Amino acid sequence: MSYVVSTRQVSKIFKGKEVVSDVSMNIQRGQVYGLLGPNGAGKTTLMKMLLNLVKPTSGEIEMFGEKLMPGSVDLFKRIGSIIEYPIFYEKMTAKENLELHCEYMGFYNKHAILEALELVNLTSIDDKAVGDFSLGMKQRLGMARAIITKPELLILDEPINGLDPVGIKEFRSLLRMLSKEYRMTLLVSSHLLSEIEQVADTIGILQGGRFIREVSMNDMRSENTDYIEIVTPHCKKAAFILENQLGVSNFKIIGDTMVRVYESRWTQQELTKALVLNDVEIESLNHKHTSLEEYFMQQIGGGEKHA
Amino acid sequence: MLKLIQLEMKKQKLGWYVRGAGIAIIIISFFMWLMPYAEDNGEPTFTSYADALSIGGLFVRAVFIVFGSVLLSRFIIDEYKTKTVSVMFTYPIARKKLIMAKMLLILFLILVTMIIATVIVSLVFLAVNSHYHFLPGKPDGTVLLHMGIQLFIQTLSAAGISLIPLYFGMRKKSVPTTIVSSVILMGLLSSSNKGYTLSSSVTIPLILGIIGFLVAYLSFRNVDKADIV
Repeated sequence: MSYVVSTRQVSKIFKGKEVVSDVSMNIQRGQVYGLLGPNGAGKTTLMKMLLNLVKPTSGEIEMFGEKLMPGSVDLFKRIGSIIEYPIFYEKMTAKENLELHCEYMGFYNKHAILEALELVNLTSIDDKAVGDFSLGMKQRLGMARAIITKPELLILDEPINGLDPVGIKEFRSLLRMLSKEYRMTLLVSSHLLSEIEQVADTIGILQGGRFIREVSMNDMRSENTDYIEIVTPHCKKAAFILENQLGVSNFKIIGDTMVRVYESRWTQQELTKALVLNDVEIESLNHKHTSLEEYFMQQIGGGEKHA
Repeated sequence: MLKLIQLEMKKQKLGWYVRGAGIAIIIISFFMWLMPYAEDNGEPTFTSYADALSIGGLFVRAVFIVFGSVLLSRFIIDEYKTKTVSVMFTYPIARKKLIMAKMLLILFLILVTMIIATVIVSLVFLAVNSHYHFLPGKPDGTVLLHMGIQLFIQTLSAAGISLIPLYFGMRKKSVPTTIVSSVILMGLLSSSNKGYTLSSSVTIPLILGIIGFLVAYLSFRNVDKADIV
């Protein structure tokens, strides 16, 4: 499997503070890679390093199988990006900005500009200067600029910021389309987990500059993420029955009134029956699965506070 | 490179520059007209045609070095300020090439405006003089030719010097630093000590001009390794 992006123990120190430390991240061709992390986790810095805007203090970065050097520029023909927030020449109109972008990219296709604007649903903008755009509109325009040349790799830093709910939904289907139809590799960062969950194939979790985990969504889903949650005042008794009568070993008692069963051997009905027959009072019994958000909170250690 | 320069022109509308330069030329010409009236203890301000024209040239260079710093601010420092560099530096074009294109454009603009301004200011002075006769007699053709060459060389060097503020401006990515350093530079170059100014000879300004270009280059020598935060 070929990696489009591959970092090896990459660290960045800014003014004595380690912002990104020891990150080894691998993105396979054609994947949608979600980079998750609370604010200040180092997501933007990591992405800037991939774009050569920030140089790693130590470690190595490989893009498209080639080592990234301080003067590397050719690879940028194959990359589209939005970093931090979309930046434009504010006095120019949207079209002028896109034309300029195409010129610098060495990309000449007159239809591409309109096509890109249509893809992001930004057609009725007339000749307004970009400086007068709302954040949502800039975000869309940034997206248009990133995809106009149909790059192989798309690096999007918090692309959902400033979009309204309709925009977010459109954006999600746009990402899917870019991935499926244009076979782009996508690296999307966000702190909005539920959004990433719906589009990503693999996620990487970053916290305090450290790469906590890299896991494919498939693995994560199969990783005991389905469970049956039983709420009962007789927690201990329920546990006893589960273990001794039903032979369930993989379960967890949470607090005084909750038991989670991670084995799919038994159906809800069978569990209910067994418990009720043993006089265990049941307040509720539901099938659930861990959302990415819970997984994320588990990984970053839950209650830690972030400024 | 030419393409890159063209793109720079697209990004920055230059109407303000042309207007500003026009106003500056008018003011300098007006000054040259008034100067002969400001006699110093009975001594005339200008003793000869060469004297008058070289002072006119000095004015022009001083003023347009400051203009140059404004161009540097707009074309280079502002890209850092508004963070558009982070877009510009993700294009498949070497950073040095991008900045070099900007510098060449600025150098060209400054040089052309300085030459035009010097010519206009000189012509205005000659025209005014032929009416008011501040200076006796008619200008000698060879003197004019000699002055023309000298002014041209000095302008060439001044254009190089006008890039020096970039070095100071880039250190802190600051527009005020760029402009203030150009004003200081202007003061140094045009301050006169008993009629002898740093720019009245030819070799010194020429060396300074080359140094100016080199210093400007130094300011982005390490741009490939620099972090864009």
